[in-house]
Amino acid sequence: MAGGLLFSLPLLYTGEVWWAGFTMEPPRQLAYLATTFLLLLGYNRYAGLHPDTGWTEVVIDSVEELGLGLLLSAFILYTLGRIGPGQHVDEILGSIVVQAMTIAIGVSVGTAQLGGGEADAGMVGTDKVTFGGELVLGCCGAVLFAANVAPTEEVVVLGADLSPLRLIAVTLISFSLSALILHYSDFRGADRWVRADSLGGMLRGTIVTYVVALAASAAILWLFGRLDGVGLTTIVGQTVVLGLPASLGASAGRLLLQ
Amino acid sequence: MTRALKKNALEWTVFGIGLLLVLATLAYLIREAVTTGSSPPEIVVQLGTPRQVTHGFQVPVTVFNRGDKVAEHLSVVITLVAKTEREEAVLNIAFLPRQSKREGWVTFRGDPGNGTLETGPVVYASP
Repeated sequence: MAGGLLFSLPLLYTGEVWWAGFTMEPPRQLAYLATTFLLLLGYNRYAGLHPDTGWTEVVIDSVEELGLGLLLSAFILYTLGRIGPGQHVDEILGSIVVQAMTIAIGVSVGTAQLGGGEADAGMVGTDKVTFGGELVLGCCGAVLFAANVAPTEEVVVLGADLSPLRLIAVTLISFSLSALILHYSDFRGADRWVRADSLGGMLRGTIVTYVVALAASAAILWLFGRLDGVGLTTIVGQTVVLGLPASLGASAGRLLLQ
Repeated sequence: MTRALKKNALEWTVFGIGLLLVLATLAYLIREAVTTGSSPPEIVVQLGTPRQVTHGFQVPVTVFNRGDKVAEHLSVVITLVAKTEREEAVLNIAFLPRQSKREGWVTFRGDPGNGTLETGPVVYASP
């Protein structure tokens, strides 16, 4: 639970996220819930748990974390006076669901990374994470970082304001940071998980990570309604702007969330 | 080879509560997704009984949104029309969710008992 709050507290203290709870329509909330559940399944399958964990346990743990996310979200929002009696159920539930998703992923990552005992073992002992597993871990990292920034007004402002040249600069910075984290840093696991024997391999790994980060950015922006009614240029602008924190999260996620 | 499930009573309880919460949330959201229409915000303003305060008269205002969409940057103009003067107050609300209400107050220098209170125009956007 502490892990959940550690990763999601910025969201709980952000006005735009409170409002997203009631501006987000029920179908989109359902999509948000489903996406989070899939990410939890993926994360619990490829990291955090013991490598010989069966799907039953993965599903049970994911439901547990989702439930804890909902419970914690309701408790904190009530304590902060953001939900309470007198509000319509739609409004209360919307606020809880939006916050609960990041808390749930935080609980999952927190249990695996900060917890002790069996979970602490993580995937130590396994030799290889599959390509799909790497994508899921990258996606979890991207969501964990980008979800804290996505609902803010600043992403819209930057996405609409920045000139194409500056957006290209943001892309290059994101790409370089990904390469740096994945291949030139001494981050835990860098040597083990993403070692590339050639420049081509290194480029391939970085491109895949950046693509995952961009896809996660676009998906989160859509979920928060930031892509509704705006032109293609602004959509690309916002995605690239959010792609910076997302690519940091995706690359660090591939290494640290194992 | 997968290992056997090893969970204690507390973990099963957390799972049970979690499952219940997730299913209830899912059921509610599915019901809302199916039944919620797409009508624009429909704003209804209700004024309460005026009360004398230090610098005038305070009037409680309740604003309802009976529509299916959220109203954003909502402004409600309330006017006190008396025999000799006209006072205008504006209540601003950042967001008014669908099927919800917000409460606020406006204060007039004159006594609403000696005139009539009128509401409108109401201005809002849909995000």
